[in-house]
Amino acid sequence: MATYSIPVGPLHVALEEPMYFRVDIEGETVKGLEISAGHVHRGMESLALQRNYFQNITLTERLCSLCSNSHPCTYCMAVENVAGIDIPERARYLRVMADEIKRLASNLFNVGIMAHTIGFNSLFMHVMEIREQAQDIKEGVYGNRMDLAANCIGGVKYDLDDGIESFLRTQLEEMKRPLDEIYQIYAKDPLITARTKGIGILPKKDAVRLGVVGPVARGSGIAYDVRDKAPYSAYDQLSFTVQTEEAADVRSRALVRLREAMDAISLMEQCLERMPKGPTVPDCLPEIPPGQSVARSEAPRGELIYYLKSDGTDRPQRLKWRVPTYMNWEALHAMMHNCKISDIPLIINSIDPCISCTER
Amino acid sequence: MLPFLKILVRNIIKGPATEAFPFGDTFTPKRLRGRAELNPERCLACGICSHVCAGGAIAMTESADGRGMEFRLWHNTCTFCGLCEHYCPANAITMTNDWHLSHEQSEKYTCCEVQFVEYPVCKRCGKRMLPHLHQRLAKGLVGAVNTAEIMQICPDCRRLTSAMQQIKSKTCFSTDRSNS
Repeated sequence: MATYSIPVGPLHVALEEPMYFRVDIEGETVKGLEISAGHVHRGMESLALQRNYFQNITLTERLCSLCSNSHPCTYCMAVENVAGIDIPERARYLRVMADEIKRLASNLFNVGIMAHTIGFNSLFMHVMEIREQAQDIKEGVYGNRMDLAANCIGGVKYDLDDGIESFLRTQLEEMKRPLDEIYQIYAKDPLITARTKGIGILPKKDAVRLGVVGPVARGSGIAYDVRDKAPYSAYDQLSFTVQTEEAADVRSRALVRLREAMDAISLMEQCLERMPKGPTVPDCLPEIPPGQSVARSEAPRGELIYYLKSDGTDRPQRLKWRVPTYMNWEALHAMMHNCKISDIPLIINSIDPCISCTER
Repeated sequence: MLPFLKILVRNIIKGPATEAFPFGDTFTPKRLRGRAELNPERCLACGICSHVCAGGAIAMTESADGRGMEFRLWHNTCTFCGLCEHYCPANAITMTNDWHLSHEQSEKYTCCEVQFVEYPVCKRCGKRMLPHLHQRLAKGLVGAVNTAEIMQICPDCRRLTSAMQQIKSKTCFSTDRSNS
């Protein structure tokens, strides 16, 4: 059988963002893979050093549109760690709310794109319509469909009033049934299972070896979630289960994401119940002393780590982030081994790659 | 057999979910972060807005005759993050929910929020001075500020103090009499 290589990307109909894959194939079967990045590098780590601590809140928010709350939130946590700031109790809950609404929308987006990649466009449209309700929440509560601008150093910039709270409750309640419904479809629909079951398997052993994070790790049976292992914001006060699946294929990663989307609704409702009254920001502007700090959080795609070094000026001396997708890229080698050409886009989508995060 | 068929039929009966915009009305939430606006009456010319502005959209230029300060916010550079509104000690900047910012290419250099903040005149010598808090307090524009302390400290510390006051903005709002 003839062996040859085909390029997928950097611009390709099945890829949402530019990435170059050189795939060695034998007949229809993938035998080798080479990934090369760097097509949308913007030099944001350097840009962060040229901006002051306040401006960087917005800069980090522009890093990625789908996890656009996780970045400024973790950045603020890193700054708070170096400055020794304790955020007010109410702000903790408000941060969880912003985090979870983004997780809900991001996970729905990914499973929606999965349906689109399969060619099941009516399901894709249906999922996007459910997601639209999450978008309405973001626009109505935070003022923008993607960039919430919820965080500031030492707390959050927004607050809820009675009107907004009841709007939130109705929206969340309305999303529950459609979510249950599409979960059943993703779990049972013969068209979906035919394309996703047993595809792109990442055995638990390989998942540990490659250090994958987020739904990719949890889809391979590793119960690793920063919200559970090292709770930040108010996650230690809230109850949720770390969702895992054992089958380690494309389908199990989608199911983990869908269940996490349902959990996001429950977490937001718990926040609304338990949130104490009080201030949302401390009563002084932050003073950032020289020092170093690390902060981590669970972005929709997995563990996100921020490293900050300050020298006492109003700009960071070094700001570095390790994004979840960076860890998950390498897993594609294991997932795509001996897969069919037609499954390549599906497998790539199943790690929910965020190229703008990876290349910043 | 095919569980999606039920949903498909339901969605067909329900009809389109998209809005008729631009041929019909669309909904704009009250909290939408749109075009920024400055109230020159309230502005203290402290410059914290241009300091925190992520896009560098705010320019503050003192007029040649020293009569005041021109505030210019470039809408095309603005990222609508709302940091200026959050950190403004006098609640002078607000993000309105007006998102109608499309304009012709020829207007690209004039699509700005331009305001002139006039400096008050010293009662004794007639010189212009920065619109400090005392002036605003007399007009009842800023509430709950310890006047005696404010007047004894240098502008840099005053900026810090007023920013701190702003952070307790909820109380500032309630004692604010300028709207009534």
